[in-house]
Amino acid sequence: MSMASNTASTAVSRRPAAVDLVTVAGLELGAAAFLRQFLVAEDWRVIVAILAVMGAGFGLLQWRPQIEQRIIDSFARYRVFAIVLGVAIAIAAPVTMADNSYALHLLILALLYAVLALALNFQLGSANIPNFATGASYGIGAYASALVAIHFGVSFWLALPFAAFVATVFGFLLGIPSMRTRESYLALVTIAFGVVIHQLLNNFEWTGGPNGLVGIPAPTLFGHSFASPIEIFGLSLPSQVNFYYLSALLVVVAIVSAHRLHASRVGLAWNALRADELAARCQGINVTWYKVLAFAVDAFLAAFAGTIYAFYVSFISPDNFTFLVSVTIMTMVIVGGMDNILGVIVGAFLLTLLPEKLRVFSDYRILFFGVVVILFLIIRPQGLFPQRLRRYGSEA
Amino acid sequence: MSGILVQQLLNWLTLGCIYALIAVGFSLLFGVLKVIHFSHGDVALVAPFFALAIVQAMISSAAGTIDPASLIIGCVVAIMLTGLLGVLLDWLVIRRFRYAPPMMALVATVALGTVLREAVRHLFPNGSNPHAFPHLATSRIALPGLGEVPTFSVLVIVASVLAVALLFFILHRTTLGVRIRAVSQDLEAARLMAIDPSRIFWATFFIASAIGAVGGLFFASYAGVVRFDFGIQAGLIGFSAAVVGGLGSMVGAIIGSLLIAGLDTIVQATIPDGTSYRLVFAFLLVILVLVFKPSGLLGRVIVEKV
Repeated sequence: MSMASNTASTAVSRRPAAVDLVTVAGLELGAAAFLRQFLVAEDWRVIVAILAVMGAGFGLLQWRPQIEQRIIDSFARYRVFAIVLGVAIAIAAPVTMADNSYALHLLILALLYAVLALALNFQLGSANIPNFATGASYGIGAYASALVAIHFGVSFWLALPFAAFVATVFGFLLGIPSMRTRESYLALVTIAFGVVIHQLLNNFEWTGGPNGLVGIPAPTLFGHSFASPIEIFGLSLPSQVNFYYLSALLVVVAIVSAHRLHASRVGLAWNALRADELAARCQGINVTWYKVLAFAVDAFLAAFAGTIYAFYVSFISPDNFTFLVSVTIMTMVIVGGMDNILGVIVGAFLLTLLPEKLRVFSDYRILFFGVVVILFLIIRPQGLFPQRLRRYGSEA
Repeated sequence: MSGILVQQLLNWLTLGCIYALIAVGFSLLFGVLKVIHFSHGDVALVAPFFALAIVQAMISSAAGTIDPASLIIGCVVAIMLTGLLGVLLDWLVIRRFRYAPPMMALVATVALGTVLREAVRHLFPNGSNPHAFPHLATSRIALPGLGEVPTFSVLVIVASVLAVALLFFILHRTTLGVRIRAVSQDLEAARLMAIDPSRIFWATFFIASAIGAVGGLFFASYAGVVRFDFGIQAGLIGFSAAVVGGLGSMVGAIIGSLLIAGLDTIVQATIPDGTSYRLVFAFLLVILVLVFKPSGLLGRVIVEKV
């Protein structure tokens, strides 16, 4: 372990600083431009070309692992610069596509799904707990906040923590049966939980039944309604940009918590659970507590995403939170790369945008989507960004 | 016995048998593959579409209503085709995940189910809409001591018992069955005994998918219609029944099915508006069973696993 990090650090010091700086800046700007092009592309030839370039990129990484290592080293060397530039790009992004509300809509959805995938990653990626109920937590969050907003006029900013609280309670409840069950049996418990929640949302009268809830009021902040456009420096950005910034902020919160948890004892305990539950228990790790905790953290984050979704589209119905939604989130984590924050986010973006961009194949897009997922699993079985070994000392 | 009670009991057994036909496949495949073949429900529900296609092809040549003979031929061919479909899916996709982590294989089969559903939707003429599926038997039959009962229920129960008996015969009385059980016990040891695992996997896929197809045909006939997305529900219930009984145990799968079907029948019969809550109760039962018996009712009790 220490040997590997030593050689890595010497390799870094041998390379001129400017190369690393250009690598970081070029990659971030390039990725942003690439994503923007993918978002606004409508011609199917462009979309296919973009997918081909992406495939070639991953092929290159698979073929020449040292390229991947160099990129990782560059980012490790200029972490602060990379973060500042990334944040700047995220802030500037909506300006470059202010005229394309469909692209903005897709971007917001992708951000929310990135949060959901990061939430599930605590379980599936870190602790290898198959949870098929993230969609249900997402739904509980959305419904809890929407109900209090509609019936009691509670503002978005109060509904948000309330929804997170409700979903976390449900997360703990779901975690309890998980204390004893494992693997396929645990997967079924979560499937059952998800189906029960979906059916209840579909059948209760106070949740609006299959028709769902309509007229969720838009949030306001310092007198600025999220339903009205942002005016800044004489520039008018569509109202969706409000929600874009909100979702982007949530993604940042999710990334920071994922990073902190991964580096903490909790993350270590989860990884120990993943490696071998019995061995972890023998090492004195309170397996039950960490399993239940993983469920609670997942539900907590998913509820945030659910609340923002509900207030963004102002209409929710049980169909937004089916078993298939949970499966999609799970696919994002696995295709992107388990326990790899960047991988999970890329997976979420890819799988949110792909079905939309495959609309050129009209009716066949879901079929195509399934085929692409299977191909990804066969070609890169460890995910697009494989889980990496923990490195101590060289980071942070 | 009173008529209503007989009616409900038959209803329970009918549903239980339909679920069991699908659940047995889950359990059989898990025993051998050690992977949940999540698209099994979707495979089973392709059978009614095969049958419809065959029956329609035969009608267009003869011009007329569906006669029993063509329906029977359609069903039998559909069962065979579905069995082959299972083998094809294994050869195309699932075998590539033999040595991958179980989660990968699980997600791959979930995606496979999506592909199957969408394929049915687009390849079958007018596939997005529900299609009427003929009742395999509409008349009522007089049974001694029970009075008049629907022939369909009798048909389902008899056919299921026969199918399961055939399965047990294959597993316990034939060379193939011995090999399947050997692979299920220990793949490496079976390989050392000159058993070719891939042929055993294919045989297992054929048997499980063909039995599932029988369940799928009854499922469609019971509902009177078939839709491209019926496979999700059938798969979820079949999977739940298999897990509640204990994955890998055939008897467990049957007990699990009867349990879920029993609750289903009771809920529908006693609770007003119960039909909309039937899935809720079924899955609450699943959670409850797994809380108290974490590896299913017969999960570890039976040493022999197939």
